[in-house]
Amino acid sequence: MDPFLYLDRDTFVHRLDPRTKMFLLVGAFVLAFLFLNPLYGLVVLAAVLAFGALARSLSNLGRIRFILVAIALVTTALWCIFASGETPLFLFVELEALLYGIGVALRISTTIIAGMIFLSTTRNEEITTGLVKLGIPYRFAFAVSTALRLVPAVATTGATIGQAQRSRGLDLDEGGVLERVRKRVPLLIPVFVSTIRSTNIFSMALESKGFGASPTRSYFLHLEMTRRDAIVLVVVALLLAVALYLRFAGYGGLEGVTR
Amino acid sequence: MKEIFTMWRHTQMVVLVALTAAIYAATLIPTQFLPIIPGFTNIRPANVFPFVFGLLFGPAGAWGSAIGNLINDFFGTLGPGSIGGFIGNFFLGFLPYKMWGAFFRRGEDMEPNLSSGKKVVVFIAITVLASAVCAVWIAWLNDFLGLLPFAALASVITLNNLLAGVVLGPILLLVLYPRVKRWGLLWTEIMVPDEVPAAGAAFLGNVLVWAGGIGGLIVGLVLGLGFYDQGLAAAGFATGAAGLALGLIMIPFLALIVIGSLMLGGREQVEAAEEDAGHSRVR
Repeated sequence: MDPFLYLDRDTFVHRLDPRTKMFLLVGAFVLAFLFLNPLYGLVVLAAVLAFGALARSLSNLGRIRFILVAIALVTTALWCIFASGETPLFLFVELEALLYGIGVALRISTTIIAGMIFLSTTRNEEITTGLVKLGIPYRFAFAVSTALRLVPAVATTGATIGQAQRSRGLDLDEGGVLERVRKRVPLLIPVFVSTIRSTNIFSMALESKGFGASPTRSYFLHLEMTRRDAIVLVVVALLLAVALYLRFAGYGGLEGVTR
Repeated sequence: MKEIFTMWRHTQMVVLVALTAAIYAATLIPTQFLPIIPGFTNIRPANVFPFVFGLLFGPAGAWGSAIGNLINDFFGTLGPGSIGGFIGNFFLGFLPYKMWGAFFRRGEDMEPNLSSGKKVVVFIAITVLASAVCAVWIAWLNDFLGLLPFAALASVITLNNLLAGVVLGPILLLVLYPRVKRWGLLWTEIMVPDEVPAAGAAFLGNVLVWAGGIGGLIVGLVLGLGFYDQGLAAAGFATGAAGLALGLIMIPFLALIVIGSLMLGGREQVEAAEEDAGHSRVR
């Protein structure tokens, strides 16, 4: 099982420094949050999708399509209930509440797609090294990086234990959703035990390799900000400045909604 | 709270952070497709882990829970709401070990197992509190960002955490505690007393965290569900700013949780473990 979204492609976006891509991600979040009007939200979503196409990473949309559709429907429905407006539409739903729901659904979908593009174009090692270069303590970054690499191994252990239980007659695929969840619960204990018991050996292996022996350390992966990164950063900064100007000039808001 | 920083000195604790995060993420990811509120929360039996990780591995369990939840978001739901998930899940693992010591007197058996009726009651109480605190943090941030209503998210997260913790927690702890103890991996055995703060005012800290967690949940639900006139809650804000008002009203409750946590200790648990180890060696 590969739970990760990274796609090994040779694109302009893949070649960017991970710190630049982190800045792009934050920029996409800011853009998504600036505009609540669904029309403006659609423009931001289209821009993010175009960037995803440039990065050749939209094939991952298929993996999260269920989540995206469900988010759109549930978020719109929830805000139709919890928010209110001035123009009655049908039953207890007002037009402004519906537009607000759609705006928020677009906002959430845009941020999730932006996150997906970031993860599709940035390897785990690049993320952690980028975080260290941005000032995150090395030991913390090491724990995140190790956890990321161990997730498939733990999932494989879970699958192996599941197969062992199946060979003893446990049917994990029969029954409703709750029944299937209940059947998987006994698998949690062997997964925990088989993983945690390696802690001491893992720690000794790390220390024998000099983990933490020196406050400064070198890295196998060298990150370097290039002119390409600088150009992208300037373009995104300009885009953000224009968007902020438009928002403060009164564009992209939604009037008459109370939440 | 200094132990959440000093623990990084110990290689074993760093490894425990990585392993607990990996376990939590690997057991959360398969249930991403059983959503309750899509993109925000789903049926999560794996939510039992933060309680157990917290009690057994202390601050390493808290960091592991936070990172594990973040990695789960890496599977397709990474967004600004992930910050709330990180903080909420950190507290889900942080409060169990932090609050545990506040319920036992010095000299009393405070090993993190369920060997007495009192310990079972304390475990359930802490599970209720940590579930509420986790929900308040996540729902507050998401409501503040205008992503999802506080009431919908807080109630679902509290129940989701609570069910996993109360139903599965005692079973997991009964099975896992002896093994973790035998392997010498309890946080109280790895850390030394100087790295953990002594309880300044454990009783007051205990009360403040309860007031912040349960009080915040109740006030947030009352305001969010409209049982109380939001006009007053939004006093001083422009029309449509009740959501912002709810976000601001919750800040004192969040502050109570943090201030209360600062008053709770943890050193007494480490010292008790040291004394216990000393007695074992003498025997």
